[in-house]
Amino acid sequence: MGVALISIRNLTKRYGSSITALDGLTVDIEPGIVGLVGSNGAGKSTLLKILLGLIGATSGEATVLDLDVRTRGTDIRQRVGYMPEHDCLPPDASATDFVSHMALISGLPRTAARERTAEVLRHVGLYEERYRAIGGYSTGMKQRVKLAQALVHDPVLLLLDEPTNGLDPTGRDEMLELIHRIGAEFGIAVIVATHLLGEIERVGSHLVAIEGGKLLRSAPLGEFIEHTGTLAVEVDEGSETLAERLAADGLSIALDGRAVLVDVADGRPYDLVRDAVADLGLPLVRIERRRHRLEDLFRDAAPVPAGPAGHGPAAARDQVGVDPAVGGPS
Amino acid sequence: MSEPVTAATSAGATGSIYDIGYRRYEGTRLGRGHAARSLFVHSLRSSYGIGRGGRAKIAPIILGVMALIPAVGIVAALTLFAQFGAGREFDEQVPIRYDTYAGTISTIVILFCAAQAPELFGRDQRHGVLALYFARALRRSDYALARIGGFIAALLILELLPQVILFLGRVLLTSDIPEAVADDLPSVGPVLAQSALAAGLLGGLSMVVSAFTPRRAYAVAGIIALFTIPNVVAGIVVGLGSSTIGTWLTLVSPTSILDGTNAFLFDTRLDSDFFFVDLPGIAFVGAALVGIGGSIAITLRRFARIAT
Repeated sequence: MGVALISIRNLTKRYGSSITALDGLTVDIEPGIVGLVGSNGAGKSTLLKILLGLIGATSGEATVLDLDVRTRGTDIRQRVGYMPEHDCLPPDASATDFVSHMALISGLPRTAARERTAEVLRHVGLYEERYRAIGGYSTGMKQRVKLAQALVHDPVLLLLDEPTNGLDPTGRDEMLELIHRIGAEFGIAVIVATHLLGEIERVGSHLVAIEGGKLLRSAPLGEFIEHTGTLAVEVDEGSETLAERLAADGLSIALDGRAVLVDVADGRPYDLVRDAVADLGLPLVRIERRRHRLEDLFRDAAPVPAGPAGHGPAAARDQVGVDPAVGGPS
Repeated sequence: MSEPVTAATSAGATGSIYDIGYRRYEGTRLGRGHAARSLFVHSLRSSYGIGRGGRAKIAPIILGVMALIPAVGIVAALTLFAQFGAGREFDEQVPIRYDTYAGTISTIVILFCAAQAPELFGRDQRHGVLALYFARALRRSDYALARIGGFIAALLILELLPQVILFLGRVLLTSDIPEAVADDLPSVGPVLAQSALAAGLLGGLSMVVSAFTPRRAYAVAGIIALFTIPNVVAGIVVGLGSSTIGTWLTLVSPTSILDGTNAFLFDTRLDSDFFFVDLPGIAFVGAALVGIGGSIAITLRRFARIAT
């Protein structure tokens, strides 16, 4: 299967004359679990909607499963499952009724719709509560119903728009685990649009980063991580002392609140950190391998496809807001 | 790499693994037509609150029963009078007949529209369900047509069921059933036509209002206003002495249009104090058809452009 799952060429979408949601985007996406990462307003939702044929592009081309989004929208939508970002469930229907109704609308015969609904709701982890009205569900349960309706017709490709939105940490873990299973066990290609890079690192195999409607990077996840190792050493007190000691050992370090960030480009830091903390007798809270934050990606932002973009040592790095809230169409 | 195992290729060991895990769907996939039909049936059922919570059934059941009461009452009274041999006399005197039934229950039908039409279009927009429909094989026009069609079908049942009961009662309670059938047969055509026009016009217009007003309360008020205000305005204009303008204003009043088509179809004269008595009957039928076609066209346009 050499054909790309999704092929996007020079795709541009403008709303009116002032807002540009996508700006000449060109990228190929292969099967697997692909993270579509960008800040709010980067064009993720717009891209998903164009791929579904829900809205038309201003210019450029895109194919999904080798079908042109402009002319074969109906065929694409029959084979693709879509989980929107916003609420999309009627509160007065039960999960069973709603999901099987959606299965019918997807073209499944009545008996098959009922069977698949029971099966899919079991897979997403909804049991007795599936007969109750959705209005009384928790956010986590609603997200599961949204996922179930996208999965009920056994799509070849699943498009998930911010699937962990509004979930607490446990709910988030469960949702990510579910996405991982869908991609790895169910054999369904998944595209996850998110502004949280950390989530993709946990489940994804490939990453497509966009910003301002342009491609920042598209690469296997491994490449992102390999080049960006940072070790965060968090101590209750004495982070300056630790920083000085590690700097004296010849590591390139930076301070981030109580944490000391150490570049792990070579294999040495682990031993050095252990020794330093032990020698200084510091109360160690945690040692954690930190990965690329979204804003780091944007910092390298040369819009060159698949460039392994050499990443300098983690020099003075300010604490940047985790969620660069940028307005615009989403 | 997990290759999806199909029913045909999964023999032996691999098959057992997939039985406990995720199973691919290998059955038939019916396309757009099936999707549209399913949505049509869903709309029809939802109009009567079926498949929704208990509270959603209260309004349609009450209104449905109210629409049936005149028919059931007439049949009951007819039974009583027939026992005393006065069936025929009663039949000639009773004011509720095929040609008056639609008018008798028109208020109930309007209330049904106001209560239920916003549920179909408003719900999908309020709760964002539209995005899920449009992300499937269904086209936007399929969606709009299936929803309108389902609602009009629901209204048609509301109009016709009482008259079917009336018919059965009249026929079965007489001694000479074939003659009674022959008596009532000429009314079947007008009954069907009038019910279809009423369901189409009232249903179509209330669906237009609810398509543009996702907020339920506004849609309810809008539908009631649309069905009552033009009539009142026309009456006032005529009362002020401008009967020509008033006459034409009746053609924008849905209830007056239906009074006119009823008189035309059953070939009865409108009450003489009706101010629009001068208009030719066919004008009312034309206005009704324009109203039905127009509301479908406007709704299609609305959903072709709506953002999800």
